[in-house]
Amino acid sequence: MKEHDVPEEYEVFEVFVQKTQADFHTHVGSIVAPSPDVALMNARENFLRRESGVNLWVVPRQCVTATPYDTDVDWFAREMDRKYREAGGYPENGRLWKMYKERVLHLDEIVEDLHGEKDKRKNESASS
Amino acid sequence: MHGKLVDMVLTNSIDRRALADLLFQLADDELCIGHRDSEWLGLAPDIEEDVAFSSIAQDEVGHATFYYELLAELSDCSADALAFARPANERRNALLTERENGDWAHTIVRHFFYDTFDALRLEALADSEYRPLSEGVAKIRREERYHLLHLHLWFVRLGGAGGEARKRMEFAIDQLWSDVGGLFSWGAWEEELLTKKIIPVSSFELQHRWQERVRPVFAEAGIPWIEDLQQPEKDGRVGEHSPEMDRLLLDLSSVYNLDPAAQW
Amino acid sequence: MSIADKEIRFMERIKAGYKIEATDWMPDEYRKLLLKLIHMHGISEIMGALPEKEWVPKAPTLKRKLAIMAKVQDEMGHGQLLLRVAEDLAAPFGRTREDLVTDVIHGRVKFHNVFHMEAPTWADAGIIGWLVDGAAIINQAALLHTSYGPYARVLKRICAEESFHMQHGESIILTLAGGTDDQRQMLQDALNRWWESLLFFFGPVEVTASAQRMIDYGIRTKTNEELRQQFFTKYVPRIRSLGLEVPDPKLSYDEEAKRWIWTEPDWEKFGRVVKENQGPKSQQRVDLRRFAHEEQQWVREAMLRSRKKTVSMIV
Repeated sequence: MKEHDVPEEYEVFEVFVQKTQADFHTHVGSIVAPSPDVALMNARENFLRRESGVNLWVVPRQCVTATPYDTDVDWFAREMDRKYREAGGYPENGRLWKMYKERVLHLDEIVEDLHGEKDKRKNESASS
Repeated sequence: MHGKLVDMVLTNSIDRRALADLLFQLADDELCIGHRDSEWLGLAPDIEEDVAFSSIAQDEVGHATFYYELLAELSDCSADALAFARPANERRNALLTERENGDWAHTIVRHFFYDTFDALRLEALADSEYRPLSEGVAKIRREERYHLLHLHLWFVRLGGAGGEARKRMEFAIDQLWSDVGGLFSWGAWEEELLTKKIIPVSSFELQHRWQERVRPVFAEAGIPWIEDLQQPEKDGRVGEHSPEMDRLLLDLSSVYNLDPAAQW
Repeated sequence: MSIADKEIRFMERIKAGYKIEATDWMPDEYRKLLLKLIHMHGISEIMGALPEKEWVPKAPTLKRKLAIMAKVQDEMGHGQLLLRVAEDLAAPFGRTREDLVTDVIHGRVKFHNVFHMEAPTWADAGIIGWLVDGAAIINQAALLHTSYGPYARVLKRICAEESFHMQHGESIILTLAGGTDDQRQMLQDALNRWWESLLFFFGPVEVTASAQRMIDYGIRTKTNEELRQQFFTKYVPRIRSLGLEVPDPKLSYDEEAKRWIWTEPDWEKFGRVVKENQGPKSQQRVDLRRFAHEEQQWVREAMLRSRKKTVSMIV
């Protein structure tokens, strides 16, 4: 590489940590580095000195496409009732099942039967 | 509690001294290099590297602590007394680890040489018949993995960068090369340690393995290989040290020595 | 939308409790106030590593050596987090890490008065860890609700790590306080040395014009004096419980006014320390930072020259 092709300064890399393989990668901050591999090497100690992790991503900042915060505040607008897409949107089921001497079936019970109490909690935290 | 060999070691004064000597080599090496690394705190070439390199320094001192604690079990002294109160002529570290810091190239070269050696030494000790050591070594080897990756990356990049960096790397290699041979000595008790299978490979074999491992990295970094390793003038493994070691100890123990009997 | 309209909308957002982000429009004044604050905060962390690092090679036990290394490392890590926030704020001015780091070498950014001072004994390392950090923690915890999102996020992480620093500092001073007469004397001497600096650290009693603007913008929510009072409340009883004497004969709690009465430090003297780098260790520490940065320009250049675009498997 010729001298004049060299970027003058370190680049910004966004850092993502995956805590366990049951988790997705989570953004934790950014670092500057001369190259992606140095970024990865230093991200470990800049962000995982105490916490543990199983995987790290570094992404050059210019590769990130993001939604605006202030210029289009309605980007995330949800105003109308969308209870129909939530489990809690069907309160009458319980009453109806009673007529048949049965009760509502919840996903948790299925998970608990299949995997035990511990996994049920995991499933809850993953979906929240 | 450590199995048969320890009992035997502890009842035979020669073996006991041989084992302690080996543990001092490990402990003193790690303490010295960790101490030198830690002098970079706040002064590394960039902030991110400062943080990462400090973790390496902490790991080294942490490993030293493990070895001093093993030694404390074999003696009446505390790990701190062993780390802080022994004079230079009782220290068993190789001279390479006590040298004062130069520039960043000097630090990278020294550390890369040392880590490669330490990885080979730990590989060998993983098979040691002395169980407390081989068990600890298994953990330490896992932590050393990051050090090797880190230092390998720096060594190759600085060598490959050409220009001033390449010149500084070659100068540092020149400066440190005469200390490399001193790493491989197992000290005054090599024969006893080999016979008792506390160490499974000779210093000669260790040196051979080191050269095999470092040579390709020189090639990767575009740095010409130096064939000969010299016998060191002073052997740290038998307590011969440089004036740099005296200065290191003066610093290291300055607070401890105010009152060695006090709690700190 | 005119600038005036934008400003009105901006203030409405702040009053409604929204956080401001790096990519948002913000008044120049807001950006500059924030940048000055966070730049100084970040650089202070990095300069703050220097007095403590003097004690890393000399820490008197293996455990202390490891702990103080980890602590100074955290300070550098905090500097890294804060500088990243400052760098994004400074980007519209065309300023980068290089500029923000070299500003301190050229006297263009101040750093906290406490890091200009001498730390001649191990007890100073203890007092720094206990009280200087204690003061800094109060400052930082007060900023947790700042209106600037990126600052709030790094402060959350910084405060979490400071909880270790608090224990580290307390452990050193508790050991010294329970130690020999010489150790206790060493501790008292260090406290005497640091007391005035600690009071100055929180800044003047009167709310300056720029401090008021920062409060208006929700950058900070508490005044200097509120924080100093909090420091007294938390620390003075503990200092006294150890049998140490606070070197201020006037220091007392006024039950009626519900506030501490204290003797003001020599504001002018400390002002010179911070503004003109005229503290006992100012020049030496700025020189060390100059060494760290300028003497190692070649390293950063080399790493850029030999960068690889792709990450080959690093295993």
